[in-house]
Amino acid sequence: MHLSTLSMPLLRRAVLALAVLLAPLAAQPAAAATPAESFVNENIQKGLEILRDKKLTVPQRRDQFKALLLGLVDTRRIALYTLGQYRNSASPADIDAFAGAFQNYATAAYQTYFAKYTDQILKVTGSTQRNPTDFIVHTQLIDPGSSQPPASVDFRVRTDQGKPVVVDVAYEGIWLSIQQRDQFVGFLGQNNGNVRTLIAHLSDLAVNLGKPVN
Amino acid sequence: MGLCALALCQVLAACATGVPPSPEALAANDPYEATNRETLRLNGKVDRYFVIPTVGLYFILVPENGRRGVHNFLGHLSLPVIFVNDVLQGETTRAAHALGRIVINSTFGLGGFFDPAVTLGMPPHREDMGQTLSVHGFKEGPFLMLPFFGPSNPRDAVGLATDWAIDPTNLIPMKQHIWWAAGRGYFTILDLRSQTYQTVRDIQRTSIDYYASLRSFYRQYREEQIRNGRKPDPQGLPDF
Repeated sequence: MHLSTLSMPLLRRAVLALAVLLAPLAAQPAAAATPAESFVNENIQKGLEILRDKKLTVPQRRDQFKALLLGLVDTRRIALYTLGQYRNSASPADIDAFAGAFQNYATAAYQTYFAKYTDQILKVTGSTQRNPTDFIVHTQLIDPGSSQPPASVDFRVRTDQGKPVVVDVAYEGIWLSIQQRDQFVGFLGQNNGNVRTLIAHLSDLAVNLGKPVN
Repeated sequence: MGLCALALCQVLAACATGVPPSPEALAANDPYEATNRETLRLNGKVDRYFVIPTVGLYFILVPENGRRGVHNFLGHLSLPVIFVNDVLQGETTRAAHALGRIVINSTFGLGGFFDPAVTLGMPPHREDMGQTLSVHGFKEGPFLMLPFFGPSNPRDAVGLATDWAIDPTNLIPMKQHIWWAAGRGYFTILDLRSQTYQTVRDIQRTSIDYYASLRSFYRQYREEQIRNGRKPDPQGLPDF
């Protein structure tokens, strides 16, 4: 038997075997996004599109953004967390009133934060699983008109109530809910732990944030 | 140096007030909260009546390219200190970038006013002695609000003074040193405030307690700086 007749099928088999072995590796960069990643990618783009839509009037933009946000963010869960130790001593009625005031405040504050980034592109770069129902989706905000490096923005997504919901956002490592908890607990510490004073201040602040900036 | 001495006096005064801290202040690792809040009010007045008006003039008189040049030059002056801290932290790649930036921007960047090093894959980064001390296990200690310098803690305050002491431009003997230091300090404040004006305004607008908000931002921001952009352990995040 000639050497070439033996080596060709063997060589072909070896190449095929190598291709089969390498196929999963080659497919890795194009791996499908996790449900948490897809959730962030689709919905945050929608939010940025609402904020950059010049055809909308200010009230229309505010209402559309609020409607989108309330479908994505579990504001009650965040509100309860931001009360810190004062959650244990507040009455159920005060907690409900606080959750309502927080919802109005959070939508106005998030709109203020995100409005600055309407011309930027959000790119999902991956995610970390904290536990089976708790994910951190990593993204980059890229400013096409700037030489600055992209900003790192992380979204914390929980899936324990059926559909995914955002419970926190971090800009360059600064988690918004932690910052809100620290300031609310600081405020309550300065005001004898009076949750109703905090509710009144939050409601005023939400109204002021809705007004145009001078 | 005078400002550093004043800041030190403030720290000592805060420690010597004798007013017992509230349980909330202790829980927030902020036993000098009452003094810190007073200092923030003072800083706010200085900012409002002296800094912001000059920042406005700076925006009017100096075009954007000029402001970028000033920003680059001030960053360039900090590079020797950044390089030392990179080395002390064992961050070899970042140290090499700092050294490369010194060489390239001093020459092709016309003394640091331009930043050609960034196009060669050496982006700017910050590093200071407070971060170095943290990397070597020093805890931050209680929160401090320093007059003129803003949010800090004992570790970062010591780091700030050390960075000042090892800065080569402060070691060069020259007759006009006081004017050099004052000019550099003044433009550093102008540059910093012109870069952070909108961010600070947004924090003020959206905060119910600006002081507590600032304290939280500072602590989280410093943790992020110390990690040099590496992702933290997700298990360290709070449960909701």
